[in-house]
Amino acid sequence: MNSADQSSDAYRPSEIADQIDEAALAEAMRVTPLGAAVLAGTAVALLVLGYLAIYLLVFLPRGTVG
Amino acid sequence: MTDRPPEIHEQRILGTELLWAVGVGVLVAATLSVVVFTALSRDINPPSNVERIDPKTLHLSGEFAEHNLGTTVGPDGRVTARMIATQFMFVPRCIAVPSGRAVTLRFASPDVIHGLLITRTNVNTMVVPGFVAQVHTEFTRDEDLLMPCHEYCGLGHSEMWATVQVMPDDRFKPGPDGRVSCAQR
Repeated sequence: MNSADQSSDAYRPSEIADQIDEAALAEAMRVTPLGAAVLAGTAVALLVLGYLAIYLLVFLPRGTVG
Repeated sequence: MTDRPPEIHEQRILGTELLWAVGVGVLVAATLSVVVFTALSRDINPPSNVERIDPKTLHLSGEFAEHNLGTTVGPDGRVTARMIATQFMFVPRCIAVPSGRAVTLRFASPDVIHGLLITRTNVNTMVVPGFVAQVHTEFTRDEDLLMPCHEYCGLGHSEMWATVQVMPDDRFKPGPDGRVSCAQR
């Protein structure tokens, strides 16, 4: 093994628990952050829409105060 | 092991996290901008008035003596409504205010902390003994509004509420002393 492989413990044979299909692993590593972003983004988008709805439909019509 | 070193995956994750951080920063900035815009353009901001008064003697003389409570129209046409929030009632129990005009509401408490809000408006303030709470607003609809106490002030708190009668100009007629009373229904 060359020095680059020595930089991570993931490369040590003793650390590898099972045989992993590298292509499937690479695909999972590519897709998972995208899915997390979609989930978090959807949640935040719903919150923002709710905030805007209450701001425009309830808060502003209630008039000035100061 | 893979055809990509692990640093590439870490870079991708870092990039995703940075993108998320930028997005959240934009969201926070937008929310703050909405607050500032609302305050500057629509004249909506939290009431802020620091004015002291002696709670032990406010009912005896001065602005919050009983004969001076309620709605009065000053010589300059300004409408001011004064109420005392006490355990467990607002004095007076009903005030009349005009619609479509600037109204100043002033409150004082001789005993404990009260709070009030007026339904269907943004009027919402605490009334702290020792200070005068002041709120400026403009009522838009001609209707009777509920003004409950919303800060627990004792066993009778749930029964502490007042009525705000919003009147059009043709019914909001001050007497010779400038005072306007609620219509008897």
